[in-house]
Amino acid sequence: MEELQRRSSDIFTDYVRRWKEGGGKVLGYSCVATPVEIIEAAGILPYRIKAFGHPDTELGDSYLARFNCRFCRSCLQLGLDGTYDFLDGLIETNGCDHLRGMFENWQYAKKYGFFHYLKVPHFLRRDSLEYFTEELSLLRMALEDHFGVEISDDALRESIGTVNQVQARLRDLYALREEERPRLSGAEALQVICTGSSMRANDFLDLLDRLVEEKSRVSGIQGRARLLLLGSATDEVDLVAEIEDQGALVVADALCYGSRSFWGREGESVEEPLLYLAEKYLGNLFCPRMFTEYERRRDFVLERARQARVDGAIITYNKFCDLHGVESVSLRKDLEDNGIPVLVLEKDYGSPADAGRIRTRVQAFLERIGSGSVDRAGAVR
Amino acid sequence: MAVRQMKPYEGLINRVYEIFSIVDMLPERMSDEEVEGMARVLPTELQKTMRAFLVPRIRKNSLEFLKLMKTWLEGAHRAKKEGRKVILVPFNFPPEIIHCFRNAWPITSEVLSTLGVAALEGQGERYWDYAMGLGLPDFACSANMIEVGSCLTETDFAPDAVLNDCFASCDINSKTHEFLARYLGIPLFFLEKTVDNSERGIRQYYRYFDALIRDLEEFLEEELDPEHMRQVIGYANQASELYWELWDLHKFSPCPVPNVFSLMTYGVRYTMWGTEEAVKVMRSMVETSRERLEKGEYPAPEEVARSLWTYTSYYFDMAGLFNWMEENGITHLGDGLDLLFPQAIDTTSRETMIIGMAEATRNMPMTRQMGAPAMTVQWLEDVTWAARDLEADCCIYCGHHSCKQTWSAVTIVRNELMKRAGIPTLILQGDSWIRRMTPIETLQELIGEFVDNVVSRKRRRAARAR
Repeated sequence: MEELQRRSSDIFTDYVRRWKEGGGKVLGYSCVATPVEIIEAAGILPYRIKAFGHPDTELGDSYLARFNCRFCRSCLQLGLDGTYDFLDGLIETNGCDHLRGMFENWQYAKKYGFFHYLKVPHFLRRDSLEYFTEELSLLRMALEDHFGVEISDDALRESIGTVNQVQARLRDLYALREEERPRLSGAEALQVICTGSSMRANDFLDLLDRLVEEKSRVSGIQGRARLLLLGSATDEVDLVAEIEDQGALVVADALCYGSRSFWGREGESVEEPLLYLAEKYLGNLFCPRMFTEYERRRDFVLERARQARVDGAIITYNKFCDLHGVESVSLRKDLEDNGIPVLVLEKDYGSPADAGRIRTRVQAFLERIGSGSVDRAGAVR
Repeated sequence: MAVRQMKPYEGLINRVYEIFSIVDMLPERMSDEEVEGMARVLPTELQKTMRAFLVPRIRKNSLEFLKLMKTWLEGAHRAKKEGRKVILVPFNFPPEIIHCFRNAWPITSEVLSTLGVAALEGQGERYWDYAMGLGLPDFACSANMIEVGSCLTETDFAPDAVLNDCFASCDINSKTHEFLARYLGIPLFFLEKTVDNSERGIRQYYRYFDALIRDLEEFLEEELDPEHMRQVIGYANQASELYWELWDLHKFSPCPVPNVFSLMTYGVRYTMWGTEEAVKVMRSMVETSRERLEKGEYPAPEEVARSLWTYTSYYFDMAGLFNWMEENGITHLGDGLDLLFPQAIDTTSRETMIIGMAEATRNMPMTRQMGAPAMTVQWLEDVTWAARDLEADCCIYCGHHSCKQTWSAVTIVRNELMKRAGIPTLILQGDSWIRRMTPIETLQELIGEFVDNVVSRKRRRAARAR
C-alpha cells in the first residue's frame, strides 16, 4: 500500500517517468468507454487523465467557462501548464459536453501529433454495436499508422486477458472492502484505481496481487458508518478521505474512477477481439451518458449497496454536471425507496473553499443516519 | 417528492392555450387605440410582449404569427380529444416529420417555455421552481425545464410520448426529457446523432433514423402514407424557399427585415413547418420586408450595427431586446436558431422523402453544430459563413448559463472569427428564459457599450479605408 501511495502522488509518476525514459509512448484518455486493451496491444501506456483535485484553473478558464465542470477545467489547466507534456497524444471520447469541450480546447492549444476521436454511441443496440466495433477498428488503424506498430489479433487477445485479470483482481479487492470489517478504506481503494490507470496492465496486476495478499492479512476496520459513494467523475482521494474522517467508511462505490471503470460482464465474442471489446465496453457503461438505460444503472447501484450492506449513500457530483445532476433525482428516490438514506452532495471539484461545507453536510448526514458518534479514530485493527 | 399544489388550469400549456384562444377574436387590422385598450387589461408580462409584437411596423405579421401559434396549440388539444398522440419534441427535431403522421401532433418543449415566458403572469418561474423542488439541478436549461417543470406537476396537459434527438449535441436537454418520460411513465423515442460527418457516419445516422420511423409507425399504428407525406413536405419545401428569400433580404442595409422576424422564423420552423399556415406566415414576413425595402423604411435614423447572435437570443423581454435594438439602429440578423439551412426535399417516393427528412434532422440547429465531429469547427464554419453572407459587423453570444457545450467552444469560435473574418464577438451572460439572472437593462447597457466602443469604431475605420 505504501508503494501505491508513493506512485499515486503525482500526475507524472516515477513509473511514467521510467516508462518514458525507456522510450515508451504514453496516450492520454479520459472516459471509461476507451478500450485500453487496444492501446496496451500497441505497446503504449494508456494514461487516464486525472487532476487529483487540483484547485487551479486560471489557464483552463481562458478556454472553458465557469459554467463548465471544474474537473474538466482542472485537467485542461494541467494540460496547458505543461504538467501533461509527457503525453504523446490524446484520445477523445464523447463522454459529455464538458469533456468534449476540454479535449477540443486542449488540442487547439497543444496540437498533438496524435489526436483521435473515438465516437461512442449512447445506447446499446445491434446497429450501435456494429458502429462501435468499426470505431474500434479505426482506432486500431490510427494507432498503427501513427506509431508504426502492428496490433495483431493475438496481441489484442493477450491484452484482453491481462486487463480481465486486473479487473477480476480489483473485484477481489472490492470484496475485501465489503466485508463486515473492511480491510481497506474507500480513499485507499480510489488511490489504487487511480494509480493503476497510469500503469501498464501487467505491472498493475503484479501490484494488485501483492496488495490483495497484503490486505487479506490485515485486521479490518470497524465501528464506522458504512457508506456507498456514487456520482460523477471524481479522482479526489482527499474528498473520500475527508468523508471517512468524519466517522464513515466508504465500503462500496459506483464512481467513474471506481467500480464503474472495471465492473460488469465480459464480452461474448471471444474469437473476434474488437467485437468482444465493443460488447464489453458498450455493454458496461454504467454512466448516465447512456440513454434509456437508467434501470440498469439503478440496479447496479442497488446491487453495490446491498452487497456492501451500507447504512447510507452519498451521491456526489460536480457543479454543472448535467448527466449526474439530473440522474441524482431518480437515484435518490430509488435508493430511499429501498431503505437507504441518501445525501446528495453537489460540489465544486477540488475547491478548498468547498471543504468546510462538505464536512458539515457529511457530519449532519452521519448524525441523521444515527452514526454520528462512531469511532472517529478509524484505526485499522 | 414535492407536494403538488397546482390545479390543472394553472399548468403552463393549459394557461397558454387559454390565452391564445382569444387570438382569433382580434381583428385582422388593429388600430393603435385597440392595441392600447387591449394592453391595459392584460397582465404586465403579456402586456409587454403584446406591445413588442404589435408595434405598427410588424403588427400584421405578429397577428398572423400569434394565430399560427394558436392553431398549433389547438392542434394538440384536438389531437388529444380525438385519441391521436401528442408527441413532445425538442426544437431541433423537425416537426414536419410528426405532421407526416395523421395520428400524431408535435408539441415543442422550448417553444412552449418561450410562450409561457412571453404570455404568463410570473413568466415561467413557478414551473422552474417546481422542477427545482424535485431536486433537479439549477444549472439545467430553462428552455426545457420551464415546460418540463409544468409537465412534472402532472396537472398540466401531458404528452403521450417524448421524442429526443439531443444526446450528442446537448446533455441537459436529453437527460431532462429522458427524466420526464420516466417520471410520467410514457414512451421515449430517440435518435442519436453520430458525431461523424463521414459517409460512414451519415449512413449510420440514416440507419438510426429509419429505426426511429419504424418505432413511431409501430407506436402510432400507422404506416407513413407517401401521399400525405408529399403534401406535408410540399409545404415544408415552400416554406424553405421563403426562408431563403427572407435570408437574402437581410443582406440589404439598412436591414429591411424587422428584428423580431428572427424569432418568428424559428417559431414557425419549430412548430408548424409542413403546413399551409406556416407557408402563409413565412410569405407574409417576406412581403413585409420587401415592402420595407422598397420604401427604404428603418425604425432608427441609421443602422449603426449589424449583429448576428451566435446561439440563442433573450426571450423574457421581447420589447427590451428585439425592439430596443432595432429602435437604436442595431439590426438582429438572426441567431444560431435561425441557422436552419433548409433544403428542398425530393418528394418522388417515400424513400427520397425519408432521406430528405433525415438530412433535415441532421442539419437542424444545435444538432448540426454541437453534434459535429468538432463542435468548434462546425459552429465556427456556420457562423463565419452566415456573418459574411449577411455582412454582419459583429456577433453576440448570449451566454445562456446552461449551454455547457457552447460555453466550452465559444472561446475558440470568438478568437477564430476575429482572426478569419475580423468580426468581434460580445460574450454576455444571462438566462435567456428567466429574467432573474441578468436584467434586460444590464444586457442593453452591455450591448450599447459594445456597439459604441467596438462596432462603431470598426465601421469608422472601414469608412476611412474606403
